Amino acid sequence: MGEYKYIGKSVPRVDAAEKATGHIKYMSDLSFPNMLWGKIVRSKYPHAKILKIDTSKAEALPGVVAVVTWKDVPGLNGFGIVVPDQPVLCEDKVRYIGDAVAAVAAETKEIAEKAANLVEVEYEPLPLVDDPIKAISEDAPKVHEGGNVHLHTKIVRGDVEKAFEEADLIVEHTYYTGRQEHAFLETESGVAKLEEDGTLSVYAGSQYPQRDQMQLSRCLALNPRKIHVVSYPVGGAFGGKDELTIQPILGLLALKTKRPVKIVLSREESIISYWKRHPMIMKYKTGVKKDGTLVANKVEIYADTGAYASLGGPVLNLAVEHACGPYKLDNVYIDGYCVYTNNGVAGAFRGFGVPQVTFAMETQMDIIAEKLGIDPIELRKKNALRRGDVSPIGNKLTTSVGTVAVLEGVKETDLWKNKDKIEKVDKERPWIKRGFGFALTYQGTGLGIGLPDYGGAVLRFREDGGFIVGVGIVDYGQGTGTSYAQIVAEAMKCPVNKVSVILGDTDLTADSGPTSASRGVYTGGRAAIIASKRMMKILKEKAAELLSVSPEDLEAEGGYFYVKNQPDVSISYDKIAMEFLKTSGHLPQTEGYFLMPIADIKIKDAFGLPHHIFAYSGHLALVEVNTLTGQTKVLEGAEVVDGGIVVNRQGFEAQVEGGYVMGMGYGLMEDVKIEKGIFKTVNFSTYIIPTVKDAPKRIQTVPVHDPEETGPYQAKGIAETVMVATAPAITNAIHSATGIRIFKIPATSELIYNLLKE
Amino acid sequence: MKEFNYLRADTLSEALEMLEEFQGNVKVLAAGTDLVVRLKGDMVKEENILDISRIKELKGIFTENGIIHILPLTTHTEILEYPDMKTAAQILYDACKSVGSPQIRNRGTLGGNVANASPAGDTIPALFVQEAKLKLKSKSGERVISVEDFFTGPGRTVLKPDELLVDIYFPAMSDDEVGFFKKLGQRNALAISVVSVAAKLKKSTEPNKFDKAFVAFGSVAPTVIRGNRVENALMDSVVDSREKIRYIAQLAWREVSPISDVRASLKYRQDMSINLLYEGLLELYKNGWNRRS
Ligand SMILES: Cc1cc2nc3c(=O)[nH]c(=O)nc-3n(C[C@H](O)[C@H](O)[C@H](O)COP(=O)(O)OP(=O)(O)OC[C@H]3O[C@@H](n4cnc5c(N)ncnc54)[C@H](O)[C@@H]3O)c2cc1C
Repeated sequence: MGEYKYIGKSVPRVDAAEKATGHIKYMSDLSFPNMLWGKIVRSKYPHAKILKIDTSKAEALPGVVAVVTWKDVPGLNGFGIVVPDQPVLCEDKVRYIGDAVAAVAAETKEIAEKAANLVEVEYEPLPLVDDPIKAISEDAPKVHEGGNVHLHTKIVRGDVEKAFEEADLIVEHTYYTGRQEHAFLETESGVAKLEEDGTLSVYAGSQYPQRDQMQLSRCLALNPRKIHVVSYPVGGAFGGKDELTIQPILGLLALKTKRPVKIVLSREESIISYWKRHPMIMKYKTGVKKDGTLVANKVEIYADTGAYASLGGPVLNLAVEHACGPYKLDNVYIDGYCVYTNNGVAGAFRGFGVPQVTFAMETQMDIIAEKLGIDPIELRKKNALRRGDVSPIGNKLTTSVGTVAVLEGVKETDLWKNKDKIEKVDKERPWIKRGFGFALTYQGTGLGIGLPDYGGAVLRFREDGGFIVGVGIVDYGQGTGTSYAQIVAEAMKCPVNKVSVILGDTDLTADSGPTSASRGVYTGGRAAIIASKRMMKILKEKAAELLSVSPEDLEAEGGYFYVKNQPDVSISYDKIAMEFLKTSGHLPQTEGYFLMPIADIKIKDAFGLPHHIFAYSGHLALVEVNTLTGQTKVLEGAEVVDGGIVVNRQGFEAQVEGGYVMGMGYGLMEDVKIEKGIFKTVNFSTYIIPTVKDAPKRIQTVPVHDPEETGPYQAKGIAETVMVATAPAITNAIHSATGIRIFKIPATSELIYNLLKE
Repeated sequence: MKEFNYLRADTLSEALEMLEEFQGNVKVLAAGTDLVVRLKGDMVKEENILDISRIKELKGIFTENGIIHILPLTTHTEILEYPDMKTAAQILYDACKSVGSPQIRNRGTLGGNVANASPAGDTIPALFVQEAKLKLKSKSGERVISVEDFFTGPGRTVLKPDELLVDIYFPAMSDDEVGFFKKLGQRNALAISVVSVAAKLKKSTEPNKFDKAFVAFGSVAPTVIRGNRVENALMDSVVDSREKIRYIAQLAWREVSPISDVRASLKYRQDMSINLLYEGLLELYKNGWNRRS
C-alpha cells in the first residue's frame, strides 16, 4: 500500500468544516422569497375506505393558497422503486396510519397546520391486517387487491430432509426482530420551486437524484429534463431516503401554486409516515455433524413490509441470499415471504434484510459451538466460504472472500486475546455478570444480478489546476465525498485539497445509481478513476506539447508534470489550465462510466440474486448484565472488517464505530411499536436509541483484506456490514454472561429480566 | 400549537401580583423543559404564560442552621456544582446527576421538577427521603408543607392558582446517615425513570440497626410514594444478612401500584421496585453501611 499517496490515509472529511461550523445549508434550512409552507393530511385509520374528501373549509381559511387531493395528481398516482403501488395522495382507500390523503399550501406554517385539520375525510374502517403470518392465509382481509403476499422467494439446493437424517445435531428455533427506525437527524424536508423557464426544482435530501427525477416525472406528467433534483446535502439517510418521501407532494403543491413550497416533517410525522427496517419472523432448522460440519439449513422468513412494496421485495431477497451466513452448505431450503400489512411501511435500511437473518444464523452458530464444545472461531472457520467455493444459494464465489482473513484478524483483537481473563462475576456485586460474544457476517456490494448496476462520474478541470468530480451518489454521512476526492487525487497525482466534489444533483453529476448497497465507493470510485485516466491523457498531451517532449517522457506528481530524469523541466497543472483557456477558451471535461461485474449464474425466481462481490466482518462484544434488572451494558466492542482496501482510515473508523452503535441499538433497545396499526413510539422519548452514555468505551477497529482486483484501488465497501452482526455478537455475549438465550431483539432490560426469571 | 400571551415578572412581588390578577388562567414558566413539551402537544389549557425565570430572588442555594435551602429556579447543574452538596445532600445530588443530559441539567430547575409533579420526576423521591419542606407563597400569605403533602396526582399539586413555590429546604445529612438514589431507565442518559428508589437510613449505635429509615419510590404510583412498610421493617430488624435485605425489599411489592405503558409492564415495575431497593441496600450493607467514598 506504500505506493499510494492518498489512498489509505486519514484524510479529514471535505465537508467537515462547513458541517462543524453549521455553515452548510441543509434542505430544511432553505428559504426562498414568496415561499409557502406545506402540510400533509394523513389517514386517521390504519385500514379504511375513503368515502368522501371535503376540502372546502380548508380552502376557505384565509392564508390558504392551495389544497390538493388525488384529483390534482396529473400523472400516475403512484410511486415505488420496484412497483409504484403507493398513492401520492389516496383516492379510495388508506392502508396505513401515515398514508397521505391531501395536502395544503399556506402563507405560514401555522395556517397550513390549521387548514390541514379542516380537511374533512369520511372513512369506513376495514378489518385490520397486522400479523404477517396470518396475512398470508387465503381468507385474510386484503391490503391490496392482488393479495397480501408481495413476494415469495424459495431457493432449494440439495436435499435438506435427507441431510437432517445424517446430522448428529439439529438446532431449531424461531427468531424475531424489531422494527428499527433510521433516526436520521434531519427529518424528511425540502422545498419545491417552479423556475421561470418552467423547470421544477426539487430540493430534498435523498439517496438517488436521477431516480427521484424519473419517479417524479411519472407522477407529475412532466418531462424529466424539466425536473431538477438536488438531493445533497442531507442530514442522514441510512436507507430511509432511498424511496421518495415528500417530494411528489412538494412538486404538486409548487405546480399548483406556482410559488416555492416548503415542508419540514416533525419527528412524530416522520416516524409514522415513512420507512422502517422490516420486522422478520424466522424459523431456522440447522443440521450439523459432530465435527462441526454444517450439513443442512432449512429457513422460513416472514418479512412485514407494511402497506406498500417500496424495496420490500429486494430486502426479502437479500435476507434469503444471506440466510445461511458465509458458510458452505449444500443442502438448503429457504422459503421467504414479503407480506403486506397495515403496520406502517418498511423499506430500505442499512443492511437491507441481512441484519435480521444474521441475528438468527449467528445465534444458531453460537448454540452449535456450545453444544458441540467447539471454539466459535474454529466452528466458523471450518465452514467458512472461501474463494472458489459455491455459496449456499449456488453461485461460485470468484471474487475476494475475506472470511479467513476476518477470522484470523479476530484472534488479534484485544477483546479476543483477553477474553479468558474476564471477571465473569463481579466480586463486589455478584449479581453483575460478564460475558464475551462473537458473530460473523457478510454483505453483498452492489445491487445484484439483473439490475443495471453502474457508476458514473464527470470530471472537470479547474482554472487553478484542480478538479471537480461530480457523482450522483450522495454523501449522507458515510464520507463517500471525501473518498472520491482521495481517489481523484491519487489518479490525477494532485493534492486532495485540489479536488472538489459535487454530489446528488441531476444537472451537475453523472447518474451513478442509488446510494445504497455499500456500492458508493466501489461504483462511483471506479467511474472516477476511468474519468481521471481520460483526463490524465488529455493533460499529459497538452503538457508534452508545451514542453516539446513526447507524452511518454512525462511523469505526474503533486500537481506537476516532470520530464523523466530531468526533474527541473516541469509544468504545473494550473499553467496547463491557463494554456487551455488561452487556446480554446474552455477547460477539458471527461466522463467515466463503469459497469459492475456480475455473478456467474442467476438464481431462478429470485430477482437480484446473487451478488458478486461481498464485504465480510467479525463483530465482538464484552457485556455486563445486571441480573437484578436485566440491564445490559456493552463494555467494549471490536470489529474486524474486510471491505477491501481502506480508502480513508478515519472514515473507516467512524463508519465502524457508528455501525457498531447502531447495531447495538438494534440488538438492545430499538423498536417502533405498532399496536392495532397505531404507532406507540413516535418520538425519541419513547423510541429509544443509544446515547453516548450507552456506547461502549472503546470499539477497536481492525481492517483486513483479501484483495479485490476489480475495486477502485482494491476497495469494496463497508457501510452496511459494519452494523450487521453487532446485535448477535451482543446477544451471544449475554448468553455467555448469564446462560439465557435471546431469540428476540431488541433484548430490552425487561425481556432479559423475564428470561432470567424463568 | 395554540398561541399564548407571554408575560414576564422580574421580581417575586410582581409575579405574585400577576398570579392573583389572572386567577388561574396563567401557567408559570421556569426553564420550560417540561412545560414547552406540553405546550407543543397542546396540553395546556391556560391562555397566559408567566415567565418567572429572571426572578433573582428565586435562584440560589444557602445553608442556615444546618438547613439547606435550594430556591426553585436553581438548576440541576448548579446543585451538582455547589460545594459539599455531594455529602450534605448525597441522595438529591445523585438524583440531579441522573436527570436528562448536560443540556437539560443546565436549564431545568429543581422547582420545575417538583412543581411539574410527575411520578417520574427524579428529584422528588430524593426530596421525600431528605425530609424536604416546601414554602408556597401568594400575595396574601405563605405556608410551609412537607414535600409528601404537595402532590395530589400525576401533574397535580395542592398549589393554589395564586401560589408560587418559593423555597425547598431540608436538613443537611449527618455523618451517621447513609442513603442512595437508584434509577432504572431504558438507557443511561436522557431516560425517563421506569422505576426509581431513594432511601436514607440513620444508623443506630448498635451494628446493622437503624433509628430512622426513609424510603420512597418513583414511577410506580400516581405520585411519588413513601414506603412505610419497608421503613418499619428496616427500623425493627437487625439487618445483618443478604437474605434479610431480600426479605425486607420484597415488602416493596405491598407499597407500589404501577401501570403498564410503552416503557415497561406493570409486573416489571413491581419487580424492579423490589430489586432496585434490594440492590441499593445490598451495596450499602457490603460497604459496612458506610457511604461509598
Ligand atoms: C430531554 C428531556 C429529558 C429530561 N430528563 C429528565 C429526567 O431524567 N428526570 C427528570 O426528573 N426530569 C427530566 N426532564 C424533565 C425536566 O427537565 C425537569 O423536570 C426539570 O427539572 C423541569 O424544570 P423546568 O425549570 O424546565 O420546569 P418548567 O418546564 O418551566 O415547569 C414545569 C412545571 O412546573 C411549574 N413550575 C415551575 N416552577 C414553578 C414554581 N416556582 N412555582 C410553581 N410552579 C412552578 C410550571 O408551571 C410547570 O407546570 C427531562 C426533560 C427533557 C426535555
